[in-house]
Amino acid sequence: MIRRVLDFVFVLLFIWACMILGLWVIDSFIVPLQLPGVTDDIMTAILKVAISAVMVLVWLWLWREMVKRMFWRAVKSRQHSADDLQSDSQSKEWRNKVIFKNDR
Amino acid sequence: MIPEMGGIAVLVGLTVSVTITAILMPEKTVLLASFFATTLIAGVIGAVDDMKTLNAKVKPLLTALAGAPILLMRTYSPYPVFPIVGAVRLTIVYPLLIPFAIAVPSNAVNMMDPFNGTMSGTCTIVTLVLLFSSLILGRSDAALLSVCLLGPLLVLYYFNRYPAKVFSGDIGSLSIGAALGAIAVLGQLEAVAVVAFAPQIMNAFYGLATVGRLYERREVSRPVTLLDDGRLMASADPKAPITLARVTLARGPLYEYEAARVFMVLASIAGVLAVLTAYLTMVTP
Repeated sequence: MIRRVLDFVFVLLFIWACMILGLWVIDSFIVPLQLPGVTDDIMTAILKVAISAVMVLVWLWLWREMVKRMFWRAVKSRQHSADDLQSDSQSKEWRNKVIFKNDR
Repeated sequence: MIPEMGGIAVLVGLTVSVTITAILMPEKTVLLASFFATTLIAGVIGAVDDMKTLNAKVKPLLTALAGAPILLMRTYSPYPVFPIVGAVRLTIVYPLLIPFAIAVPSNAVNMMDPFNGTMSGTCTIVTLVLLFSSLILGRSDAALLSVCLLGPLLVLYYFNRYPAKVFSGDIGSLSIGAALGAIAVLGQLEAVAVVAFAPQIMNAFYGLATVGRLYERREVSRPVTLLDDGRLMASADPKAPITLARVTLARGPLYEYEAARVFMVLASIAGVLAVLTAYLTMVTP
């Protein structure tokens, strides 16, 4: 149970930290940005919004990839442990058979 | 047989709490009316969806219309406050975003009702977080609206928690989601609400990202399957949407009450981060 919650805590913390960092980047670098050769205020504003929008999309993509990987890794680890259990039980069965045969 | 459409009780409870508040504070009547009308419109859409399943594309569009009372009564402030950034002037863009601010939480809450009590429980936590954050930031309107919603939500959670005696139905989930979105807009708690809503957003976003389009539950493979011993297991079907429930169960099967507990813990953690966001907003010059 704790492991499941910890997975989500990691994702939530990462996403929250990225959001705060993104806001800081927008406030410190993108808002005061003066593009060389661009004098039109509306054009500058559109470019700033476009850069911020790209940042948001990257943030969402990172979020999606993280969870997708987390999910399939968890599924695979569960499958591996199930396979290990199965092979372990098979080897025990084989060992019992051998012991039984030698005893005879 | 468990009765559905228990969300009607939330609307009735909200009617009582909003009416009493309007009588006690007549200066807040317009604010309360826009909040209640938004919730009611979403509730009516939910009721229609409960009786006659709406198309997956039509439902978000209709819930976006629920934001109309806020726009028409002009009860919003186009100066949202963000942590680190501070107040932002969005006089043109903000009204255009209001329909999304209602439709997104409304549908996200609607999609996050896989286990008994998860929708009502997580939304109760979000409401408490919004109330606490409004007290930190001194937003009296948000505090007032959160208190109006908290009572009916607590009652719904009491009857909806595992083992559920009543289901909220879409009437409950859509209206509660719209009410929370309205609190965020009317109370200027946008950033706090986004963080508090992280589990709901996560759930909706993963589902949409894996399926690649808006979908109705019945249209896609079930993300969770029921085992013979009563436990729930994540589906191995690669076409099934990766919902929060499926991710929770990926590490192995769980009983429904255990899975619901994971959701509640997750909502609480998101709540702590939301309160931290409120604190960061407060200290931003």
